[in-house]
Amino acid sequence: METEFEKSKPSGKGEQPIAVARRTPETSRDVNSDGTEASSQGSPNVTTYSAQSSIQNPSQLIRDIFVDFWLGRELAWRLFLRNIRGLYRQTLLGLFWAFLPPIANTAIWIFLRQANVFSMGDTQVDGTVYILTGMILWQAFIDAFQMPLAMFNKNRNLISKLNFPRESLLLVGVGEVLFDLLIRLLLLIPAFLIFEVPVHASVLYAPLAILGLVLIGASLGLLLMPIGSLYQDVGRFISMVLPFWMIITPIIYVPLTTFPGSLLNWVNPASPLLLLARDWLLIGTTDHLAIGLTFAAAAIPISLIALVVYRVSIPVLIERMTA
Amino acid sequence: MNLSRSSSSDLILDVDHVWKIYCRNLKRAMWYGLKDVGREIIGGGRDRSHHDLRSGEFFAISDASFQVRRGECLAMIGPNGAGKSTMLKMINGLIKPDSGSIKITGKIGALIELGTGFNPILSGRENIYINAAVLGIRKREVDGLMEKIVEFAELGHVINDPIKTYSSGMRVRLGFSIAANLRPELLLMDEVLAVGDVGFRMKCFTHLNELVKQGVSIVLVTHAVGMLQRVATRSVVFGQGKIVHDGDLETGCTIYEEMLGASDRVRAKKKEESGRIGEIGSVEVCNEGMEPQAEFETGETVRLRIQINAREKIKDARLIVSLCSPVHGVLSSVSSPYQGIYFDVDPPGRVITLKIPEIPFLIGAYHFNISLFGREKVDFYHRSSLRGVFRIVGPPTNADGYGINGITKLQHSWEING
Repeated sequence: METEFEKSKPSGKGEQPIAVARRTPETSRDVNSDGTEASSQGSPNVTTYSAQSSIQNPSQLIRDIFVDFWLGRELAWRLFLRNIRGLYRQTLLGLFWAFLPPIANTAIWIFLRQANVFSMGDTQVDGTVYILTGMILWQAFIDAFQMPLAMFNKNRNLISKLNFPRESLLLVGVGEVLFDLLIRLLLLIPAFLIFEVPVHASVLYAPLAILGLVLIGASLGLLLMPIGSLYQDVGRFISMVLPFWMIITPIIYVPLTTFPGSLLNWVNPASPLLLLARDWLLIGTTDHLAIGLTFAAAAIPISLIALVVYRVSIPVLIERMTA
Repeated sequence: MNLSRSSSSDLILDVDHVWKIYCRNLKRAMWYGLKDVGREIIGGGRDRSHHDLRSGEFFAISDASFQVRRGECLAMIGPNGAGKSTMLKMINGLIKPDSGSIKITGKIGALIELGTGFNPILSGRENIYINAAVLGIRKREVDGLMEKIVEFAELGHVINDPIKTYSSGMRVRLGFSIAANLRPELLLMDEVLAVGDVGFRMKCFTHLNELVKQGVSIVLVTHAVGMLQRVATRSVVFGQGKIVHDGDLETGCTIYEEMLGASDRVRAKKKEESGRIGEIGSVEVCNEGMEPQAEFETGETVRLRIQINAREKIKDARLIVSLCSPVHGVLSSVSSPYQGIYFDVDPPGRVITLKIPEIPFLIGAYHFNISLFGREKVDFYHRSSLRGVFRIVGPPTNADGYGINGITKLQHSWEING
């Protein structure tokens, strides 16, 4: 079609445009140190969208992921504040809802133990504190595990209509998991006092194990997110197996040390770091250092893979949301 | 395309032979989605050949190419499902093309939907920060723009109240104000022109024109073609996933209006039955000299030649002719009895001509609906819609307030008094 178009206007050089959405995927790009400001003239950012998989250039892809984490930090903080404020402005009991699940779960298991329904083994500290700590850590793990899919579903509208650093949603999600976890960990202060649990120096390393636990939970959840967002079966299946998963995780009992029961610790990704964190929080010494650190180390490549899967799958998922 | 006068550095958007495949079957779409995710992960994403459609798939966009230069405002128009929004989503990087490429120079600001991400519980001010953060703007930049945004949205008195107390119009104003005050190099807008009250809409147009003058490029999708002339400088018309026109806005709008008419015409045809006593046969639009003609200028004489077929004699027949626009509906309706005309039709039929001297309508596509009756109201013979399609192609209209605009040319004169 022949088109005469000669309306090109002066390029408004006087006006330095303010940085707006800065999508820079798989191609030639020219992001400045802060990633957003365009250089005034000369080398403009060029973004190309094509059918090519961005994974064909893995180093660029990984770099893009981290750039987007950086660019998305302020958005993440805003969304985090929005969610927390929105949540507590509309509840009567506010933060109490963060405390409730581990207290309720602990109460149930303490009751069952006192009824001699099961035996815990030698916990070295008071059983109530042992179960409560386990419950808080377990809650953090499954919150992290369920976070990616929940985050995606909650923000479908935003994801399908705006192009922004989607990594920020993960920051928000992890932030919320850690926020809830911190509030719940406050429960341990009265528990330590009431049950006279001594505080060990190893409490200082415990955050490492806890972060590893959250990281591995979030990464595994992230790997499941693409399937889970397409097929609701996944979400249903997860909520069905969670109680069983909790039972095979040594929360309400001391881990099995004899073969084949000990094998469970190696196949259950929730176990090693939960055990390590709890030992560091309550006991001071641990038999789970090697396995815990192994899992913590494994969490790093797994999380990278999960981030790549998240990033490359989002355009496909948006297409299926709107097609 | 003849764009020789613009240098290549002015190219903001380059859409190059883009294809997009969709699937309408939900279960299949989910399964394909899963397979596509898998393919992306193993790095198998590549241009899909144009013939390898999987079962249930179709081309939402076929081989679309166009370009947008600095300071250009392009309107993408077309009927529902023609692929406009899909194209906008690809330009915004929300979804990937299945073949071809899209190159964008500079930063994109998208208004795919106004106010996406507003939290109803938080105040307008808090939501400005959130919305701006979604669009990639820092807090300190927003601080500098806050007054401007609030003032433009005319919401100074309620900006600290929760958004859920706002009317839908107020939300739209806030959303537009945020996005439009952020100055991207390419602004994408999907159906956001048809919102807000008239006063605010005018303000938006003025603002958009201002942005265009400053070198911002705009791509907008809308069905409200009547308003396009206020901002758009060029149009790309989509029909069933293909670009059917890339060029000046007026031709684009006319083609779009004709496409709307065409789809109605297909529907009308299906309804048609045979075996009537009398019916409207061929209909032709002619010029003064009774030669068939499809394009006219405002003020020329249009003659409508209507062939009436009859199986039996029709006594005291009357005709009702409505002149319509696909966008605005019936513009004027005339009947032969108005001028005292009743006529008999003997088999096989006769020709009746309606003369419209000095047609007052401005640039656009038009057609006629014709009904054949006998003398009484109940004596209905036939009604035929969407006949005698013609276009008014000139003289040009002006939406900026320096010429005439609208649907018809009003006879008028000015007097300067006092």
